[in-house]
Amino acid sequence: MTHPTRRAALLTAGALLGAPGLVRAQAPDALARVRRDGRIRIAMDLGAPPFGMMDNRMQPTGSEVDTANLLVADLGVPLERVAVTSANRVPFLLTDRCDVVVSVFGITEERRRVIDFSIPYAAVASVVAGLPADTVRGFADLAGKRIAVTRGTTNDQELTRGIPRGAEIVRFEDDATSITAVASGQVDYFATAPALIEQVNQRRTNRPLEVKFTMRNFPYGVGLRQGEPALKAWLDGWVRTNVANGKLEEIFRRYHGLGLPPEVLEAARA
Amino acid sequence: MTGEFNLFHAGYLLQGAVWTLLLAVIAILGGGVLGLVVAIGRVARPWPVRLLAGAYVQVIQGTPLLILMFIAFFGLSILGITLPALVAAGVALVLYSAAFLGEIWRGCFQAVPQAQHEAGAALGLRPFSILRLIVLPQAVRIAVPPTVGFLVQVVKNTSIASIVGFTELARAGQIVNNATFQPFLCFTIVAGIYFLLCYPLSCWARALERRLVPA
Repeated sequence: MTHPTRRAALLTAGALLGAPGLVRAQAPDALARVRRDGRIRIAMDLGAPPFGMMDNRMQPTGSEVDTANLLVADLGVPLERVAVTSANRVPFLLTDRCDVVVSVFGITEERRRVIDFSIPYAAVASVVAGLPADTVRGFADLAGKRIAVTRGTTNDQELTRGIPRGAEIVRFEDDATSITAVASGQVDYFATAPALIEQVNQRRTNRPLEVKFTMRNFPYGVGLRQGEPALKAWLDGWVRTNVANGKLEEIFRRYHGLGLPPEVLEAARA
Repeated sequence: MTGEFNLFHAGYLLQGAVWTLLLAVIAILGGGVLGLVVAIGRVARPWPVRLLAGAYVQVIQGTPLLILMFIAFFGLSILGITLPALVAAGVALVLYSAAFLGEIWRGCFQAVPQAQHEAGAALGLRPFSILRLIVLPQAVRIAVPPTVGFLVQVVKNTSIASIVGFTELARAGQIVNNATFQPFLCFTIVAGIYFLLCYPLSCWARALERRLVPA
């Protein structure tokens, strides 16, 4: 299977699923349905450390796992975890395979055209990491380099937007594969979240990478289908409460070693 | 945050292998039955049947398996038919295998010399009896090596099911790799399990060939 085919498939599916109203008609009010069914289906990617991953006993762990647990505790219904990868989150949501997405789901204009988001509850920096010996301060310096990125992520979007002529983007199917490629030395540049670079360097002891420049800060929120005002209002209120009482900040600090960025705090206060 | 590869990881991989095996069995059995129908349709006398079977083969062979899975899983959802991941992946694999097996077997039917058909007709056998008693037994012999070659492909193609959220062996390998950061060890084990799934098929094919081909 060639990669262009796979990419075309995802794009085509996205375009098809964008057709409004087709799926939505079946789900009048997601919040009411969640309460009636007594469960909420939350889509997460457990192959995206340190956001979602498996611990030594193959139990889910990570900042998004804790966030989802906090959400269901406050909602008062049990959690049903739906496994997704970063690339198929939107199709899963649109085809009613899950109720919400809690999976480092960056809030972008492109996604807003087809789905809805809560206000942001955290943010992830999108950076380019590379070899310490090279002088790379911005996109222009990437000419002639090969840069690994996970397909369909916000990192992919930013990199694709800024990439200069003569640079090659090497896209991988998920974070696991990207990390493997970079950790095994196949690619020396990596457009990703800072948390992953430390993980890569644990396996790249001979030629570790460092952050060269930040492409952008991406606030991420809970993803939901469009036309769900009740669920959106509940989620927004939930984010405000848990940013204010510091619970979301504590989760973020536990896995990422730093506090929530100011734009998230401001959005919750507004 | 990450840990050494342990028995929990191995167990998770084996669980993925069970799903891979199950998908492969569904694809092989379902694809085999439907494939036989397609093969017979391709050599049938009435031309609309031949046309229909030919069109099926053209359409499916011209569509990547990935797209078939997408249609079965996401596409049907738009129409309000929600299939579980196992069913959607199973349906896609069955349709895919049937087209290829049908085409392989059609070639094997046609490799049986025309004179054999004529001999059957001369004995007063009906067309279906000629197929069952004379052509099929000879065609099966020719069919074994290409069929098994394709079945091994099917086992490996089940990995595409991960796109519809199915945690089979390849996806289990990715998740374990993310939990351990030991790609070499993890993917070597995954490759080993795939080999253990495929090698018995090859052995069985060799034994079958030896039994079927007259010395």
